[in-house]
Amino acid sequence: MFHVITGGSGSGKSKYAEELVLSAGKGTRIYVATMIPYGEEGMQRVERHRKLRAQKHFRTVECYTGLEKLVFPKDGIVLLECMSNLAANEMYEADGAHEQTAQAILRGIDSLRAQVRHLFVVTNEVFSDGLAYDEETMRYIACLGEINRRLAQRADAVTEVVYGIPVKVK
Amino acid sequence: MKLIIGGACQGKLTYAKETYHITDGWADGRSCSRKDLSSCRGIHHFHEYIRRMILSGEQSAALADLERQAGEFARTLAQENPELVIVSDELGYGIVPVEKTDRLWRELTGRICTCLAAQADEVVRVVCGIGIRIK
Repeated sequence: MFHVITGGSGSGKSKYAEELVLSAGKGTRIYVATMIPYGEEGMQRVERHRKLRAQKHFRTVECYTGLEKLVFPKDGIVLLECMSNLAANEMYEADGAHEQTAQAILRGIDSLRAQVRHLFVVTNEVFSDGLAYDEETMRYIACLGEINRRLAQRADAVTEVVYGIPVKVK
Repeated sequence: MKLIIGGACQGKLTYAKETYHITDGWADGRSCSRKDLSSCRGIHHFHEYIRRMILSGEQSAALADLERQAGEFARTLAQENPELVIVSDELGYGIVPVEKTDRLWRELTGRICTCLAAQADEVVRVVCGIGIRIK
């Protein structure tokens, strides 16, 4: 099962995705954390997510770039969060895939799908604030848009979470 | 409680007025007081009310405590005004804002609206003037 969970910022995507993992049956629960906790606010965000996950028996694996290097057990129930961070890391970090970001991430996703029982990927809707950004940011938006489209093609299910309410997309 | 959300300029207020037959008794989130929230029949530009809460210092900027504060705010509002119709822009569908206040605003709006959605007996998303009932 490959399920993509999307939504705006602060919409309850994480909580919903974690509930999906909890109801996915037995297996090794693995949380793939992709956000590099820069600064005080970054630390606070990570802390908030850690609290959300406490008591849910996740093994946490930090992966900032190079998704395809991960090796997981067959009974893995994997929650990757968040694609928007992973894409930014691959584009801008020194050891990232840069121009090859979308391809590298999709290879990583395909590798995970082939390894584990269930894969849940949280991504982000960053496409609708109607603002024009600098060229670099527009390139990022286009890249994440492409990744999301190609994830959705592969996915068995796609859900948009709207203020805590799951809305079925696929 | 009813929650009507969607992008800007989608006809949310018109939808709410027509659907719930509320022609007067609307508070405007850009100017109303906290007291108005407990007595009005509907509030529109609710996201702007949240912004004013932040700017007035009524809302502390501690991200870690945001959900508890959002939950408290939503529960109190639901108790005070259980028939309230809330119309809010749906924020958070863009790139992380540069300004700290803007980041806090969209985060807090998300958390409060998520709590309100949980309390509401109806949640409608309006797109191009058309309401899609999601709860």
